[in-house]
Amino acid sequence: MADLATDVLVVGSGAGGAITAAALAAAGRTVTVLEEGPWVDADALDPFSLDEMVAKYRHHGLAAALGTPAIAYAEGRCVGGSTEINSGLYHRLPDHLADEWRSTYAIEEFSPEALGRYADRVEHDLSVASLPGAPPPSSAALERGATKLGWRNVEFARVFSYDRQGRGTKQTMSRTMLPKATAAGATIIPDCRVLRLVRHGDRIVGARCRRTHPGGGVERLVVRADHVFVCGGAIHSPALLQRSGIRRNIGNGLKMHPTIKIAARFPHPVDHGDVPTHRITEFSPFVAIGGSASRKGHVAMALADTGAPFGEALADWENISVYYAAIRSDGSGRVAALRGVRSPLVTYSLTEADLSRLARGLVHLGELLLAAGATELHPSVMGGTVVHRLDEMGAWWDQVTRARANLMTVHLTSTVRMGENRARTGADSFGRVWGYRNLRVNDGALIPDAPGVNPQAAIMAIATRNCDHFLAEQ
Amino acid sequence: MLWFEREVVGALIESPDQPLRSAVESFVDGSLRDMPEHLRAGVAAESVLLGTYTAALRRAGRLPRGDPRALVARLEGWETSPIGVLRSYVRLMKSLVVFAENELAPAGAA
Repeated sequence: MADLATDVLVVGSGAGGAITAAALAAAGRTVTVLEEGPWVDADALDPFSLDEMVAKYRHHGLAAALGTPAIAYAEGRCVGGSTEINSGLYHRLPDHLADEWRSTYAIEEFSPEALGRYADRVEHDLSVASLPGAPPPSSAALERGATKLGWRNVEFARVFSYDRQGRGTKQTMSRTMLPKATAAGATIIPDCRVLRLVRHGDRIVGARCRRTHPGGGVERLVVRADHVFVCGGAIHSPALLQRSGIRRNIGNGLKMHPTIKIAARFPHPVDHGDVPTHRITEFSPFVAIGGSASRKGHVAMALADTGAPFGEALADWENISVYYAAIRSDGSGRVAALRGVRSPLVTYSLTEADLSRLARGLVHLGELLLAAGATELHPSVMGGTVVHRLDEMGAWWDQVTRARANLMTVHLTSTVRMGENRARTGADSFGRVWGYRNLRVNDGALIPDAPGVNPQAAIMAIATRNCDHFLAEQ
Repeated sequence: MLWFEREVVGALIESPDQPLRSAVESFVDGSLRDMPEHLRAGVAAESVLLGTYTAALRRAGRLPRGDPRALVARLEGWETSPIGVLRSYVRLMKSLVVFAENELAPAGAA
């Protein structure tokens, strides 16, 4: 069994882990990052392709929160985590949520102004930019429909850099913060799963790991550490803590943005290589409308959701794009590590209000797409009416039921909430797990509730803030 | 993949192109293997139950043997079943096949 020693151990290399590693290595700490997934060349695979799903997604993208209905979710599992597979959309945490959470969970130093300063740093470090030039047809459709209906919409910035020709490169963690971390002396070990943390009193003294070598050999590894940051995301951070016997307020309160979709057919070709950058904010924070990945496979899956024959529509797939309505849910879920089982059990309960919100989101999305010029709408609802005109859409209100709605999400948060309110949180205001002096969580699990927008910016700003606090404490 | 899963996947693939069919089967096989264990166990249990049920229907002459279209029609019926896990089973298999077949088909193929 191999043995390593490090000052700071970071478990996970996504938005939280990479920022933690870069910040602490730059401050002169000896940092080791353990990533369960492989290192994959960021330029090697087409975004949202099947090959990317196989190489970079956990479970090939085939995970689900059990409930009625089950909700499919996707996470990255590679060096760089979900930043390698997401759309890179960037939206600062809305000020009113920072105020609300600070009060509800008694979070210290969580004012909009303080978070804004950290967001400024993240944006400077990563290159956050808007798409140069005119939006592609799939995104322009959202803007056009919103303008016709008089609805608020914005073109979101992305964690992208653009060259003079307007070609964009997503600033994933493997392209940005992880190289910074290694340049400052950090070590990144891919293909290394942390089985459990080793506790000694109120300290974590190390981690027991299983490392897979490229040739297929497996090695047991013990990493001894003075400080441990768990950054495996809202599903796997609590699962690791639970496997390590740390359970108080860990894993409950899972929040997400349940999402319902429409495949919209236009009388003209639309783009399929990227996701639309426009979002409809008219119904924020409870319903957000935007566009999804729309490669041929995604279009086919979306068309298949109604259960009706879709061959004729699929033949016209180049004119079809997939859009979504995502809600801020009143429901919640749990993550539970099961003894002897590698993957945690994830459950989520939608409320009746959530279902009503999903139906409202679907109808608003349909209205928008028809206003944008779509001629045919296929909802992700089994037996759902394929709509060509506004007056046909009324049927959807009754069709969005637990039995028929086909839902998914990519935003998962809140399983180790932060704050000084010990009855409701698993970690303090800066991510230190209650009861342990040197164990911190620094990822989306800390966010106390679903923010109603892409949480990546909030995760990065909070992670940066927590690193500053850690360094100031030492 | 279990034998009934292989049969379901084979029935759902529309293309007659053998290399494409093999590639889709391989993707679905890999995806099922990589599922969270508890979900995979549930899917496998359903596959055994549904496979046994389907075999019984065939023995009783209520489902033609060697006819993928008949199996697809049966799957379409299960897709709207009041039993949630049955609906989920069909949606899962169908989504995997539809996605893979359309992503793996050579560009320009119908």
